[in-house]
Amino acid sequence: MNKTKALICVIVPILLTYALNTKFGDTPPLLKFLDPFTGFWQNAENNRVKASKKVALKGARQSIDIVFDDRMIPHIFAKNDYDAYYAQGYVTAKHRLWQMDFQTRFAAGRLSEVVGKKAIELDRYQRRMGMVYGAEKSLKGLMADPQSKEMILAYTAGINDYIHSLSTAKLPLEYKLLDFKPEDWTPIKCALLLKQMSAVLAMGSDEFYMTNIRNKFGTDVIKDLFPDYPFKEDPIIPSGTKWDFTPLPVPEAPVLKAETIAQHKIRTKQKEEGIGSNNWALSGSKTVSGFPILANDPHLNLSLPSIWYQIQLHAPGLNAYGVSLPGAPGIIIGFNQHIAWGVTNVAADVLDFYQVKFKDSTHRSYWYDNQWKNTSVRLEKIGIRGMAAEIDTVFYTHHGPVVYLQKPKNFSRSNNVPTGSALRWIAHETSNELKTFYLLNRGKNYADYRRALSFYTAPAQNFVFASADNDIAITANGKFPLKWKDQGKFLLDGADPENDWRGWIPADQNPTVKNPPRGFVSSANQSSTDPSYPYYINWEFSPYERGKRINDRLTVMTNATADSIRKMQTDNYSIHAQNILPAVLDLVDQGALNATQKEGLALLSKWNKYYNANSVAASIFDLWTKRLQFDIWDDEFTVADIPMRYPSRDRTVQLILEEPDSRWIDNVKTGTKETLSDLVNESFKFACDSMEKRFGPIGKDWEWANVKHTNIPHLAKIPGFGSKNLMIGGGKMTINALSESNGPSWRMVVELGKSPKGHGVFPGGQSGNPGSRFYDNMIDTWAKGELYDLFFMQSADDPSAKIISKLKIIKK
Amino acid sequence: MISFAACGLIGKTGKISFWSPFLAILLLWTGVALFKSLPNGNLLASRVAEMFGVKLWWAILVISSLLGALASGISGYCGYHFRKAVLKKKAEA
Repeated sequence: MNKTKALICVIVPILLTYALNTKFGDTPPLLKFLDPFTGFWQNAENNRVKASKKVALKGARQSIDIVFDDRMIPHIFAKNDYDAYYAQGYVTAKHRLWQMDFQTRFAAGRLSEVVGKKAIELDRYQRRMGMVYGAEKSLKGLMADPQSKEMILAYTAGINDYIHSLSTAKLPLEYKLLDFKPEDWTPIKCALLLKQMSAVLAMGSDEFYMTNIRNKFGTDVIKDLFPDYPFKEDPIIPSGTKWDFTPLPVPEAPVLKAETIAQHKIRTKQKEEGIGSNNWALSGSKTVSGFPILANDPHLNLSLPSIWYQIQLHAPGLNAYGVSLPGAPGIIIGFNQHIAWGVTNVAADVLDFYQVKFKDSTHRSYWYDNQWKNTSVRLEKIGIRGMAAEIDTVFYTHHGPVVYLQKPKNFSRSNNVPTGSALRWIAHETSNELKTFYLLNRGKNYADYRRALSFYTAPAQNFVFASADNDIAITANGKFPLKWKDQGKFLLDGADPENDWRGWIPADQNPTVKNPPRGFVSSANQSSTDPSYPYYINWEFSPYERGKRINDRLTVMTNATADSIRKMQTDNYSIHAQNILPAVLDLVDQGALNATQKEGLALLSKWNKYYNANSVAASIFDLWTKRLQFDIWDDEFTVADIPMRYPSRDRTVQLILEEPDSRWIDNVKTGTKETLSDLVNESFKFACDSMEKRFGPIGKDWEWANVKHTNIPHLAKIPGFGSKNLMIGGGKMTINALSESNGPSWRMVVELGKSPKGHGVFPGGQSGNPGSRFYDNMIDTWAKGELYDLFFMQSADDPSAKIISKLKIIKK
Repeated sequence: MISFAACGLIGKTGKISFWSPFLAILLLWTGVALFKSLPNGNLLASRVAEMFGVKLWWAILVISSLLGALASGISGYCGYHFRKAVLKKKAEA
């Protein structure tokens, strides 16, 4: 009896302690998390920042001064390059360790290790797409160059010296919630992070859908509905720009052979507009100061901790300010004493799928160039928390990995991946993107800019440039395969050597323009060039509306100041509405409307076409035109078992404006013949009715900001760690490209001159700690469309900056 | 653990062995948590409260302290009875 009692008395507290300190499913280890000595309370940062601190670290070569300004932005003053990047690694880890760790785990397909089997399909996908394979190749390129090698090694050492200084109590909050510990940083993680950028920006692929469309409707419909150049366009390199080079011969397109494609049950989804960005530069002839102004706002899926980390790096031969990606050394978008630069995505066709014919079910050999060729095998070991590791076998052809031999169910990322096809992707090339940023950070003039760009591979970007010498330029830059026209618009036959990528467009022949007569350069992800460019980059780019609005405004702009540019970055005017609203309004049959619909129509006819926060008309227009696209295309392009996509918005506009009697208007699923007017009325009523059902009579709830619901969620979607809903305007097709949680992740305006003046803001804060007042302190300024003056310091005790804290690193 | 051992050694009665570690941890945890949270303007406590679906930051403080106190109280109580059980056995032997 007593023995039992004694045993119970021992077991109960042990069980209790165990239960309260262990992670069950998604519930954090409760007691450990709530314990004020080691749990989350320790992450509550004192709102008063310690004024100065000194640390001795083994990794530093000489002493380093880091001063933090009033937004907690570090300004690093080092005596050599190594120490600059070492300190960058140290402070980035100090503010963003969990984010860096989590993002690279995501990239590497290692999430299951910390969250368990629910992430297994995602991990497999990342592995099977060759993310780790690509990162390994990239790392070779990075390590082959002495400068980028030093950058990476110094950055890695800085991160690790910070990790090693951490006690359990001081671990970032998310580690305590998800119950895992940081591991040492390694150079491959930098490469993985860069690969993830490629995955975010250059992993789009419609060729599976396009092939199905070609099989179903034939090549004439492809030519008609999916043309190689849009109906309305305003290309990045101004039309008529001369190409001052002799182009390489482009390989001939092989004659098309009949192909059969395996089909799957996937519903056609309306094509969501991809991730876009804006940048532009004005020449001194259009500004008050007589020097150029450069602006950039890259749009990404917004999250907290912020995507970007602001920093100033100062060392002999280097003084640059801008934003960096936590996990990669150097500055990606920014400026120095002489030049400023920024980027937007080029939607280049750098990802192709090749259909592979295997000899047998062992997948050991495949048919290529009239013979059997061996595949190679890559084993991906995926660790899973609480379970045994899984070994996933991936077969590689000379094209690249065969992503799926059997597709997973209910995993949307795999929708556009054709089964049994090999992936040829630019992100699998050996590359060294860091070198480009190393050189830009130190660049002095146009020649330096051009040289820096020649090292860049992917994801291809429109690099905008301005210098104090009064040069402006823009280049659609990346490593582009030398393709025949439309190579990769459809699935390719992997057995035919003529379908391989055969060479590259020479870097100096990438589309570029310097000091065009119109006095400005700009890009908003639209077509890189007009059809006169001798090479194929892609057959479809982002819709042109943002670019058109930017160019319209810059054309008439004179005496520009930083403030006129700032206002332009938050311009909510819709070119799409300008293009189609008059035409569709005319078709609405007023007599057949109910009271709400009539009120809606009245608002639309008075609408100024701005997607402002309080606009009700914008909400109706947005839903109306989306429904109209659905009405026009869905009957033909959603067919069970054949995944396809709709024609573009551009083609829809053309149809509405110029081909109102087109055969595509009729709904083939009904017995009657519909006209454009029928569809316009149906979609208009649909928009008003569904909004009424959701929000009641027209009022505050119908306002665009309430409908759009912009908010910035936490990276791991932890409730309470994201932002509140922000009452702001803008839309995907306006310059201020804001949707629910996608938009300008950094807004920057730089006035070049004898001493450059930078202005910038991002939606979040420098710290990644939800318990810091610097976690989200810049959101309101960003939401208001305002910018902060950036402190471009000349020395650690430059009095022009508001400094709140100093950290001195000395060599141990 | 500490309360188990402490009460196992010096606990006078079962009640005391529960309540003294309970109160000790309640006070200690509340104190330390406030020491951390007040200079933070309770910013983080508010976020964590939202995460747990309670609206007020101090609710998280109460939950933390009570849970900690309860765990230590139970451990203390068990510690005391463990000693008694073991001692009794020795006395019998």
